Amino acid sequence: MAGTSMNDIKARIKSVESTMQITRAMELVATSKLRRAKERAERTRPYFETVNDCMRRFISSCDSDSSPLLKKKEGGKTLFVVIAGDRGLAGGYNSNIFRLARALAGSAEAAYLPIGKRSLEYFKQKGAEVYCDSAAVAADMGVGDTMELGRVLTHGFLDGDFDRVILVYTKFVSMLSQLPAYEELLPLSPYEDGKKPPAEFEGDIEESFTKIASEYLGGILYSALSESIASEHASRRNAMSSAGNNAKEMIDTLVLKFNRARQAVITREITEIVSGAEAL
Amino acid sequence: MNTFHLDIVTPDGEAFSGEVESLLIRTDGGDTEILAGHADYVAPVGTGRARIRMGGVSRFASASHGIITVVGGDVKLAAVTFEFAEDIDVERAKRAKEAAEEKIRVAKDDRALMLARAKLERAIARIRASELKM
Repeated sequence: MAGTSMNDIKARIKSVESTMQITRAMELVATSKLRRAKERAERTRPYFETVNDCMRRFISSCDSDSSPLLKKKEGGKTLFVVIAGDRGLAGGYNSNIFRLARALAGSAEAAYLPIGKRSLEYFKQKGAEVYCDSAAVAADMGVGDTMELGRVLTHGFLDGDFDRVILVYTKFVSMLSQLPAYEELLPLSPYEDGKKPPAEFEGDIEESFTKIASEYLGGILYSALSESIASEHASRRNAMSSAGNNAKEMIDTLVLKFNRARQAVITREITEIVSGAEAL
Repeated sequence: MNTFHLDIVTPDGEAFSGEVESLLIRTDGGDTEILAGHADYVAPVGTGRARIRMGGVSRFASASHGIITVVGGDVKLAAVTFEFAEDIDVERAKRAKEAAEEKIRVAKDDRALMLARAKLERAIARIRASELKM
């Protein structure tokens, strides 16, 4: 009786140990990927700030009717660009993003442009309208791809495919904290900080505006993607490290149980021997 | 010669920061040279060669896609790629050019064609810039 339970416990310990090995390996992989992703996110930041600044200056020097990209429309379709991961096992990383996207969409008419395999799967499974599924693998996306998406967004907006574009991504706050966040990309909102100098333009203002806007959107997407990827690895690392800790705790309890069971067997054997000797 | 402050940033980090005499860059309207004291200016940047002059010496580079702004005499260029001629890997650019040409031949839809064309443009700009290496 005690023997079988000892074997059972041994088997459990073995299985928990192998699980722990997996979580530890995943944690290590995530840590090294995180380092690279974090560096990339940090390198991108000055670029992002400059692009943002350029756009702000540019918009503040234009009239509000100089481009259809500035026009707010009511009640139209909203396009959500949702950046999630390519894989699961990253704690709440994917589900937090989807929850935010769902909350933002509410009951309004919405279409989705998913980035990342999980994101694409999720919206397909929900039967939501997927505007464009070319950006399926988040890890493979380079700056050229986000620029292309920037153009897709600008032209889709100009063609009236949707009237608003909202970007849903995960902000990399620190190694331990990643927050789902959103940003309204289109229509571009004029800034009201009163900067006026009307800049000089090359050629047609509306055309320039469209081109600059798609560069700007591409830049923003790239930087949001970098942040999201860093967040994914950080979140996976945290999830795996706590899974590893849980496994360790479990093994400790199991080892205790195993020792107790072994002790019980020994005690019983001694009792049997002693009582056997007494009977003689 | 008068100089102005130029900052060039790309998604891979800061590519250049310093005082220069002039910047030649390909914008949508064609090659544009910016000198000190330029009026406030905004333009989208295309793919092509760029040239920076500092201390009477020219440095060539290839640049692609971005926005250039001049505000109060300071020039900022946010480009997707910006590489100085001496940093360009010519062999790689040549291979990229061939690969892009092949892709254009077999491209099935507009999107693939557009991407391949952009790749070809970038490769050509790189090769041209590297030929101007001093």
